Amino acid sequence: MRTKQNSQLPRCFYFLVLLIFFMQIPHSYAQERFRRSPPLPEPFPELSLPLIETHTLTNGLGIAVVRRQDHPVIGMRLIIMTGESSSPDNLPGLATLCARMITKGSTNLRAEDIEEKIESIGGSMSVETHPDYTEFSIFFLEEYLDDALQLLGEILLHPNFPRLEIGNVQRSMFYDLAIQNTNPEFIARRLLYQILFESHPYRKIVFDPGGIKNLSRKDILSFYSQHYRPDNAKLVLIGNLNLEIASRKVSRYLSRWEKRELEYASAPILKPRDEMKICFIDLPQAKDATIHLGNIIFPITSRDYFPFTVFNQVIGGTPNSRLFMRLRESKAYAYNAFSEMQFFRSCGVFSITAKVLTEFCYEAIQEIIKEIDDLRNVQIPSQEIEQAKSYLIGNLPLKIETYEALSAKISEIQAFGLGRDHWERYYNNIMRINSEAVSKMGQKYSLHTPVIVIVGNSEIMEYLEKFERVSVYSPDGNLRYEISKGEKE
Amino acid sequence: MLIKIKAFLFIIFVCLGGPSIWAGQPSQKFSFPIKQYTLNNGLRVILSEDNSLPIVSVVLAYKVGSINEKPGKTGLAHLLENLMFQGSRNVGKMQHYSFIQKIGGVLNAVTTDDKTIFYQTVPSNQLALVLWLESDRMKTLDISPANVENIKNNLIEDMERQKQSDPYLENSWYFDRLLFPGFAYNHPILGTISDIKKITTEDVRKFFTTYYTPSNAVLTIVGHIDEQKVLNLIQRYFSTIPMGSPPPALELGDLPEIETVSFTMKNVMAPSPGFFLGYQLAPRYSDDHYKLVIAEYVLMKGRTSRMFKRLIEKDKTAIHLSGGIETRLDQSVLKLFVRANNEIMNERNRRAVFAEINKIKTALITEDELHKTKNLFKMDYYKQFTTVLDKAIFLSEEVLDRGDYDLWRDDLDRYLAVSHYDVSRVANIYLKEQRILINIDIK
Repeated sequence: MRTKQNSQLPRCFYFLVLLIFFMQIPHSYAQERFRRSPPLPEPFPELSLPLIETHTLTNGLGIAVVRRQDHPVIGMRLIIMTGESSSPDNLPGLATLCARMITKGSTNLRAEDIEEKIESIGGSMSVETHPDYTEFSIFFLEEYLDDALQLLGEILLHPNFPRLEIGNVQRSMFYDLAIQNTNPEFIARRLLYQILFESHPYRKIVFDPGGIKNLSRKDILSFYSQHYRPDNAKLVLIGNLNLEIASRKVSRYLSRWEKRELEYASAPILKPRDEMKICFIDLPQAKDATIHLGNIIFPITSRDYFPFTVFNQVIGGTPNSRLFMRLRESKAYAYNAFSEMQFFRSCGVFSITAKVLTEFCYEAIQEIIKEIDDLRNVQIPSQEIEQAKSYLIGNLPLKIETYEALSAKISEIQAFGLGRDHWERYYNNIMRINSEAVSKMGQKYSLHTPVIVIVGNSEIMEYLEKFERVSVYSPDGNLRYEISKGEKE
Repeated sequence: MLIKIKAFLFIIFVCLGGPSIWAGQPSQKFSFPIKQYTLNNGLRVILSEDNSLPIVSVVLAYKVGSINEKPGKTGLAHLLENLMFQGSRNVGKMQHYSFIQKIGGVLNAVTTDDKTIFYQTVPSNQLALVLWLESDRMKTLDISPANVENIKNNLIEDMERQKQSDPYLENSWYFDRLLFPGFAYNHPILGTISDIKKITTEDVRKFFTTYYTPSNAVLTIVGHIDEQKVLNLIQRYFSTIPMGSPPPALELGDLPEIETVSFTMKNVMAPSPGFFLGYQLAPRYSDDHYKLVIAEYVLMKGRTSRMFKRLIEKDKTAIHLSGGIETRLDQSVLKLFVRANNEIMNERNRRAVFAEINKIKTALITEDELHKTKNLFKMDYYKQFTTVLDKAIFLSEEVLDRGDYDLWRDDLDRYLAVSHYDVSRVANIYLKEQRILINIDIK
């Protein structure tokens, strides 16, 4: 009996141990079913982009207003529809210098007075010259709209371009460019544009810092009087205001700005290159190789904009796109690899940038070309297209959330004269794109015959010998020599 | 079960009455709705609806930072922040990034002296995905020796790169040690290489189980949301995560006042000479702190601030000027870092900076200058609410710093009520002889 009792006690004990063990399972091993896989998204919320209301004053000044009530701040951008491509052939950099001088003094205000006035309304000001247009941006507290417009009127209508300030701005431009000249990405992009825009006005957007000192006050005055006209300008306003109030206030301060009919010759149409060109820039201090390649595509107003946007997303829009996955994750040739589209009034440029390990420079270029060929020749799976579209739809609101970003986007719409359809129907325009439409983009445009610029130290040359022909340039874009396969330097 | 603590609230700034009206520029109405809930496991939840765009920001902030580290274990908080992207039971290594990026979202994380904040903004239809990701790593983070070693190596490499790219980094760490007397406050958030090497998997596990608990965190969601749906999702993903024990109380001890220190450090790697200058200030949320912030703006914020105008624009003796008020838990300081092309200019800058400090102490600022300064401050204040993410981070910090989400509603008016007498008074009290001055000699 005793023995039996003894033998039964341990059984109870084991049972209890097992019971306790199983009771612990939910905490240690088991988990709720919903944790095992990511939840499915809800349907896309409706993306209604802010409405752009427009009006034109009698002097020709265009006004675009977007109402936002979430912040007690106003964003204002004045666009002069003339950019660096309009600088005279012999005076590159003039558009930039003229724009920067606008904020450096007027008949009634010195440069420091202007800065004081801007900060007095809680504001900040910046000037940016693009190839096709120039932007003056001021962001300020909403109660100071009158003060901001008065100041804008003063500096735009009565600039006096003080000589002392011209010297300061010239020096500042020179140093800015000198710093950029040590940046491999900047150098590569500059040479790409120099070659793509060889005999086109856009070639002036890449100018040499050495020429800045030759620009005179007389040149600035002449450029100003030719281009700074209300019928060549638009004003974008974002904040808690409506078109009627905005137009009335703008008219009060800028209606005396005199109109002058201007005849602008439209820029000639650019053709893409139909032959691949390999260029190398020897930058001794560069540790890695920077590859920048691209070719001419369509202007932003083209119907191809939306399918190509999806194409760009598939090939290189993010770290989940094909180039990054192939060059970095799969082959380990590159630190990064992305693609982008940049637009000008009469054309666009599609380009790919990758920062790669020197010894894999040749292979990385081959892989990029292979990826372009794949997209030209093999139908893209629908799932990949849907993923790219979902990214673009989801990401757009994030890109226009701030007043700065939204006003920059509206400025671009105004400067390039994009129709309402482009902005208001963005969601539908992206959603209707299918795999076939995207594949067509790869075939339609000459992406397989790009200009390829490689920036790096001289060690790269040994890896580039496999190319049929390489043109070697100095960092400032001067052709040094050309070398063919089998030849020695 | 969710316990509703406070109902829908509109935050309205009202102008201050009485004697301060003449000095202040009362803020106008600035409001947005905020609600707070607390889960049974102690997780505090802050919700704010903003339907401007179909996006939502999710911020999960833990009350832990470098201040919770022990001597010999520096860098642990930052290491754990990085480890949070290395995967958890149902999420693979670095998948957190790819999940968010694929849907067009953005994400990141930051470690400060007393907080570790994880944040993401995504299209609003993807909110559940973010909650799934955040809850999975809170509940089942993969703290394997391989992951810990991998992060340690990455951090050491990053730190070496950072030291190369910022030749003044070690000088600034030394400056911090003098300005914040006390180990908890003054060791670098990145830690030291020798400490990071010594961190074990067990150290990380212990730190995680101590601080990465629901009751030590705040979950803030701002954007295009349906409140009931969000609450259901939060309940689903977070309510079964064990509460955890309360973290041990911080043992900071009494901090001594700084002593006047003035000396030169050699730094042959630095491209130009310069100096660091620092003062101890009144703690954040004290009356004087609001006044000190306005004094800081007068001195060094904006292109027309006194020091910027004098050193950069007028005299052109400085090539770099940065600084401002910095707060670490209950300690506040004013920091200044100025660089010049050569030692003669450096000496001129030092004299000019002390002259400007003397001037703000001895002469009242004009009404115009005070008006400009406050407007500049007001703009910066509003910038804290620019995006849904900005709002979410701001509210998370408020809850962790002040224990409440609505105490900030009077802040702007307190800043705007500062008078020119106040500015002069606090400058005299706090910008005194007791200061740290470190000169950087590059020869």
